[in-house]
Amino acid sequence: MSELRETRKEKILSILEKNSVPILFTVFCALGIPLSGYSYGYLGQEIVVRIARNSFLIIALLVPIMAGMGLNFGMTLGAMAGQIGLIFIADWGIVGIPGMILAMIISTPISAFLGWLCGKILNMAKGREMVTSYIIGFFINGVYQLIVLYGMGSVIPIKNPALVLPRGYGIRNTVNLISIRKVLDNLLAIKIFGISIPVATLLVIAALCFFIIWFRKTKLGQDMRAVGQDLEVARAAGIKVEHTRIVSVVLSTILAGYGMIVYLQNIGTLNTYNSHMQIGMFSIAALLVGGATVNRASIGNVFLGVSLFHLMFIVSPTAGKNLIGEAQLGEYFRVFVSYGVITIALVLYEVRKRRDLTRAGRLLAQDQADEVEAKQ
Amino acid sequence: MKKIHFTRRNYVQLASVAVILLIAVLMFIVGRQHTVLLDNKTVEHEGKTYTAFSIVTVEVDREGELELAARDRDKAEVMGQRHKITVVYTDRSFEEHTLVKKFKVPIGQDMVLLSIPALVGEADESVWLQPFFPPTAAVAPQAEVLPTEDVLAVDITF
Repeated sequence: MSELRETRKEKILSILEKNSVPILFTVFCALGIPLSGYSYGYLGQEIVVRIARNSFLIIALLVPIMAGMGLNFGMTLGAMAGQIGLIFIADWGIVGIPGMILAMIISTPISAFLGWLCGKILNMAKGREMVTSYIIGFFINGVYQLIVLYGMGSVIPIKNPALVLPRGYGIRNTVNLISIRKVLDNLLAIKIFGISIPVATLLVIAALCFFIIWFRKTKLGQDMRAVGQDLEVARAAGIKVEHTRIVSVVLSTILAGYGMIVYLQNIGTLNTYNSHMQIGMFSIAALLVGGATVNRASIGNVFLGVSLFHLMFIVSPTAGKNLIGEAQLGEYFRVFVSYGVITIALVLYEVRKRRDLTRAGRLLAQDQADEVEAKQ
Repeated sequence: MKKIHFTRRNYVQLASVAVILLIAVLMFIVGRQHTVLLDNKTVEHEGKTYTAFSIVTVEVDREGELELAARDRDKAEVMGQRHKITVVYTDRSFEEHTLVKKFKVPIGQDMVLLSIPALVGEADESVWLQPFFPPTAAVAPQAEVLPTEDVLAVDITF
């Protein structure tokens, strides 16, 4: 099929439309930075910290997108598994890098089971994966609360009194993770132009990026892409569609568990009952800000998204305060933006899908017209 | 009864699980944190007196040097079971000595009390290294607010 003949204006509009969200955020940030009054050194340091803190979690979202399952709101399941691992290591007094590794090992079977459960349910709700995974997140959150608030200390032995509520069972609202705080970030930290670079964390993220690139080329990765493009065609080609979809969710959930551990080692405190709550929402928003869509996302989108989304997060409260005199407005603004960007991305996805269909129709008409012209 | 056939894939899977479990156990042993209380107090054991030093410098592993006066107690937080203590002290003739000793903390023990005078006085390990259980405070625990729907709706720092 030939290329659709478009005017220059149409081409420019098409490029702008494809990159509308990153462009919008770049404009927001460009306006916000001078208003906030922050130095470039400070902003650079904050961005580096946030890239190291959040990238792992966001990369975990790439696998289900590859398999055509959209944005995995069920990544909170993995985050909960990661938190359970962290509660155990805090109780057993395992510190440093071994503590992180042990928390990851503990979280793996829990994440795998929850991912498998989520995948099974999502296979029953094909075409509505995102909303289903969002609701599964709420459901499993209830189970998590039941286990952590009532099971731990009574059924599951927790001996550290600093973790258990004074009534004798249940975990406190806050768990101090001082024993693993920044252990990965400080492992090979170097300073460049006054900005501290957490080299070890960035190496782990780089390793995950290489894993994703390698994974796309494997048989399973190719199967996922085939499933993502067309379920029925993939099935006709002999691919176990349901199994492939489950594997993608399991992989994403396990990676989200690891990502949560990396994230919390940077924060140094675990808010037992709400750390995981909005992790999915913010990670998805960051990915979408980077220019990803429901059915297409790349590693480049992850890093661009983290940088732009968090740059806006950093500058908006101060910019709001300097502009209007109300810091609270900036706080509201960033929550509004994170939800808003998901809405815009979903609307644009639908608009784009319809426009692509129109373009395909126009292209077909153009080809037919060319054929008729050639015959005459 | 149906016979279970193990394929090569199953063996690899089992081996992987075993390796991961082994790593988990290793991490548990290597990463376990212990508190070593360093005690510079006079100790009496079986009629023998180990007198406290007026001043002594102690270092456990590479956690930083600690200077203890007589009757002082400090702590070092260490990771793993096997450790090395370096004690630098001055005897009665003002001659400086350095003692390096290796010791092992039981895995289940959160805290141990290490008596420096007994260690330098070459007492038995059971004298200079003893398990320590911190005294529990006899105060009523403060009530903590249980998480509610409102708490759960709070935004996290991102």
